[in-house]
Amino acid sequence: MALTEFLSQLDELAAAAQSAFSSAADAAAVEAARVEFLGAKSGRLKAVQKGLGSIPAADKPAAGQRFNAVKQQIEAALEAAQKRLAGTATQATAAGCDPTTPGTPLALGHLHPITQTIEELKDIMGRLGFSVAEGPEVEDEWHNFEALNIPAAHPARDPLENFYLTTASSGTAPTMLLRSQTSTVQIRVMEHTKPPVRIISLGRVYRPDTADATHYPMFHQIEGLLVDRQVTMADLKSVLRLFAASYLGHDVHIRFRPSFFPFTEPSVEVDMQWQDRWIEFGGAGMVDPHVLRAVGYDPDEVSGFAFGLGVERLCARRHHVTDIREFYKKDVRFLHQF
Amino acid sequence: MIVSWDWLSQYVALPRAPDELTARLMMAGLNHESTTRVEDDTAIDLEVTSNRPDCLGHIGIAREVAVLTGEPLNLPAAAPRLGKPAVDSLAAVVLECPELCPRYTARVIRGIKVGPSPAWLARRLRTIGIASISNVVDITNYVLMECGQPLHAFDLARLAGKKIIVREAKAGEKFLAIDHKEYELTRGMCVIADAHRPVAIGGVMGGADSEVTSGTTELLIESAVFDPISIRNTARRLSLFSPSSYRFERGPDPEAVDWASRRCCELVLELCGGELADGVLDVGQQPTPRKRITLRLPQIPRILGIDVPTPEVRRILTALGNKELRADAAAIEVQPPSWRRDLVREIDLIEEVARVHGYDKIPEDTRVPMVPSHRSDEDRVLSRVRDVLTAAGFDEALTASVVDEQTSEAFTPWTDAPPLATTTPLLRGATHLRRSLVPSLLGVRRTNENLANPRIELFETAKVYLSGRNQLPFEEKMIGLCSGRDFAAVVGALEALVDVLHCPQKLEVAEYRHPLFKPGAAAELRLGGKPCGVLGELAPEALKQFQLRGAATVAEVRLAPLVASAVLVPQYQPLSAYPAVERDVNFEVSDSVRWADLAATAQAAAGNLLERLVYVETYRDAQRLGADRKSLVLKLVLRKSDGTLKSDEADAVVTRVVEACGQRHDAKLRA
Repeated sequence: MALTEFLSQLDELAAAAQSAFSSAADAAAVEAARVEFLGAKSGRLKAVQKGLGSIPAADKPAAGQRFNAVKQQIEAALEAAQKRLAGTATQATAAGCDPTTPGTPLALGHLHPITQTIEELKDIMGRLGFSVAEGPEVEDEWHNFEALNIPAAHPARDPLENFYLTTASSGTAPTMLLRSQTSTVQIRVMEHTKPPVRIISLGRVYRPDTADATHYPMFHQIEGLLVDRQVTMADLKSVLRLFAASYLGHDVHIRFRPSFFPFTEPSVEVDMQWQDRWIEFGGAGMVDPHVLRAVGYDPDEVSGFAFGLGVERLCARRHHVTDIREFYKKDVRFLHQF
Repeated sequence: MIVSWDWLSQYVALPRAPDELTARLMMAGLNHESTTRVEDDTAIDLEVTSNRPDCLGHIGIAREVAVLTGEPLNLPAAAPRLGKPAVDSLAAVVLECPELCPRYTARVIRGIKVGPSPAWLARRLRTIGIASISNVVDITNYVLMECGQPLHAFDLARLAGKKIIVREAKAGEKFLAIDHKEYELTRGMCVIADAHRPVAIGGVMGGADSEVTSGTTELLIESAVFDPISIRNTARRLSLFSPSSYRFERGPDPEAVDWASRRCCELVLELCGGELADGVLDVGQQPTPRKRITLRLPQIPRILGIDVPTPEVRRILTALGNKELRADAAAIEVQPPSWRRDLVREIDLIEEVARVHGYDKIPEDTRVPMVPSHRSDEDRVLSRVRDVLTAAGFDEALTASVVDEQTSEAFTPWTDAPPLATTTPLLRGATHLRRSLVPSLLGVRRTNENLANPRIELFETAKVYLSGRNQLPFEEKMIGLCSGRDFAAVVGALEALVDVLHCPQKLEVAEYRHPLFKPGAAAELRLGGKPCGVLGELAPEALKQFQLRGAATVAEVRLAPLVASAVLVPQYQPLSAYPAVERDVNFEVSDSVRWADLAATAQAAAGNLLERLVYVETYRDAQRLGADRKSLVLKLVLRKSDGTLKSDEADAVVTRVVEACGQRHDAKLRA
C-alpha cells in the first residue's frame, strides 16, 4: 500500500472517530464507539494497522509515526467523551438528593446532671486515691448522731429537724431515721476497717427543709475521709486544692474559714477561688477525737480529715441552674439539656 | 447577731472601716451577713455558730476583736451603789425545780420612775432592730444584747406575796403572757410564779399581770439560769421564740448572771433613779470552776501541719481569756474562761490557736502520699448499665425515695410487708418509703405526657426499702425502666444489658400475672434460675389508674444478681478461621409451645458445632396452619474450629434438631 493511501485512511478514521465520540449522548454510545474504533479484536484502528505491514520499508517510519498520532488522538477523544458524560452524571445525581438533610436520628438517652456530677467527682477523687464506700439511707441514731458526736441534747436531733421513721405495727418511739448526712458511712467503714482509711461516701440525704430555690428535702452529698498516722490540716487543704483544680480544670487556691460541725474539730468552711471570687465549696475539718474513739481508733495514734459538699449546689452552679427544684421536676426536656 | 458599730466601739478600739472589721471577724469564725447604715450608726449582722453563745452579745464580739487586733478591752464595772434596806426584807425566792432552773437571782430597786429612754440608748437598740418601749424594758434588752444574759424586770408591787416561786408548770395550767395571749402550759415547762399564779414562763416570756407599766415604782430584776433542753422544748411547743429563749438554748456565761444583774441595776439607778436594796437573793447552784486543760505542744503541728511559735500560742490562749496555770517546753496548762463553755478538751484549744493564728498560714501544697483506689464491682456494673440504657434511648430520672400512700400501694412486687413511714412528710403527702421504683417512673411518664413531650423513655437506678422487723430495712438497689415501646423492646434492652455484662447465664423470661399488666405481656425475669426482676405492659385499667394516655411498658430489675453474675474481665476465646454455615429451620408447632423451650431443645440437640441459635420469626395463619398452630423459624449458625464445615455435616445437625424438636414439642418441619 502506498503511503499516501495509508495516510488518507488514517485521516478519514480520525475524523470519523472524533465525530462519533463527540456526538455520543450516553455511556452506551461511547462504549459502542470505543468498540468500533478502538476494539482490540475488530476495531477500525486495528484494521488500518494491518495495512502498515504492506508499506514500503523506506516509508514505514513516517507511516508508523502518523499511526501513533492518530491512535492517541482517538484515545483522547474517548477520554473526553467519558469525562463529559461523567460530569453530567454527577449533576444528575445531585439533582435527586440533598446531602444537607439531617442524618437518621440516633435516639440516645441522657444521664441526669446530678449523676454526671457525681460520676465526675468520684472519678477525680478516685485519681486522688479515694475509694467509694456506700451505706444505708435508713440509719439508727448511733450512726447518724451518737458516733458523730451529736449527743441526745443536741438541737440537730430534734424530731422536727429529721425524718424519723415508724412501721405501721410498732408503737414505740422511733429510733430509725433517713440519714441527714453521708458521714454515717464514714462511721460504718471505720467500725470495720483499721486505718489507713481513704474513702468517699456519697448518696441521698434527707432534711426537712421547705423546698425553695436552694433547698430540697432530699439531696445528694459527697464526703471524703482520710484517716492515717500523721494526717494534718495541711493535707486537707492540699487534697481539696487538687480536687478543686481537677474539677475546674485550672489551678485554684483554697481558703479556710472557721466554722462548727459536731464531728470535726477544728472545723472550717472551705472556699475556692472562682474567677477572682471566693465561692463556698463545702465544709471540712479534722475528725473529732470523740468520733475516732467512738469507732475504736486511738486519737493519739491516728488523725484524719473529712470534708463534705452538696452535689446539687455544685452542679447547679456549674450549669447555671438557678433553682435546684429543677433537678426534680421530671421534665425530660430538662434532661436533654445535659 | 446584729451589732451596733457605735455600741461596740465603747468596749474596744475598732478598725477604721466596717469592711475591715467584718473581714477580720469572718476569718476568725464570725461570718458576715450584711452591713446596713441606720441613722448615723452602722448595723453589722454576723452569723454566730451554735458553739459560740458567748458571741451573742456586744461584749463577746468585742472580746473577739480585742484578741484579733491586740487592742485593750474596756468593760463596764457593773458596780451599782447599794442602798437600803436588805433585799430579803422586801422579797423572797423559792426554787422548787433546780433541774429546770439551776440558779435564780433577784435584786430589788425601789422608788424608780418609768419614762422614755435617753436618746443614746433608744438609738443603739434601734440600730440592732429593737424598738424602744420604756427606760426599764430598754435597759433589760440593752444588757441582754450587751452580755448575752437574758433578764426580766417584774413590777414588785404586782407580785402577790412579794414572792417568787420557781416551779414546774402544772398540766393544763393557763398563763396570760406579755403579748396578752393565753397559753396552756404542760409539765416539763418552768414557771415563775408569785404567791398565787404564774407570772412568767422561765426564760421564755414574761406575763401580762406583772409587767412594768408607766406607774411602776418597784422592780424585781431577775437574772437566772434555765435548762437549755427544757427551754427549747417549751419555746417550740408554745411557738414562742425570743432572743432570751435563743440564748438560753445555747447556754449563756454562768458568771454573767450576777454581772448582768448588777449592770442592769447600775443603769436603772442611772436612768430611772431609785434606791437598790442591799444584797441579792441568789438561790441554787453557784457556777463551778472550769476544769483545766493541758495542751501538749507537739499536738499543734500534728493536727495543723504547721508549727506555731510557743510564745504566740501562749499569747493567743491568754488573750482569749484562758488563765495560764503552767507552761513549759512540752505543754501549756490553762483554765478556760467562764464564757467559753465550748473549751473543754485539748483539741478545742488547738482549734483556737489555729483560728486566731490564721488558717491562711496552713499550706496547700503538701505531698499527700499516692495510694491506689478501687472501684467496686457494683460501681462498674452500674456504669455499664447507664451506658447501655442511654444508648437504648432511656433518659435517667431521679425521683424521691418517699412517696404518697397511693403511689406506695400501686405496685409492690418485692414484699408484702408494710412500708416504713416518715413522721413528717418529705413532700406534700409523701410519707411512705417506696418499695418499688415503678410507680414513681409512671408518675414521671404522666408528667411528660401532660407536657406533650414526644419521647418518654425513662430509667432510674435507686434503692427500694423493704422493712425488716425492728431493725434497719433491707435496702435493695433497683434498675427501673418505663418505656412507651412494647414488651419485646424492653426485653431487648434488658437482654443487651445481660449481654454487655457477659453474664454466663441467659436472661430467662417466665410467665407472670399482676393486675397492673396485660395478661400474656408480663414476665418474671430470672438469671441462672433465680428471680431478678419483673416486666410488663400496662393493662388498660392500669393506664387509667396512672392517668396515662399512651401505652407503657415497665420493668424493675434487682442490681445485685447482675453484679454477682457479671464477668467484668471477659476472657479471650480463639476464633475459628473457617466459614460459618447457616441453616434456617421452619417448624410448625402448637401455639402453646414456648420459644424458650424449643430453643433449649434445639440447642442441646445441635451439639458443639452450633455457634449461635437465632430467633427469626413467629408466624400465625389460622387458615393455613390452623387456629392453635404457629410456625417458628429459627436459624442455626454452625461452624467448626478445625476445618470447613461440610454440607452433609450441617445437614446432620439439622436432622438431629428436627428429630429432637419433633419428639419433645411435636414440632413438624415445614417445607
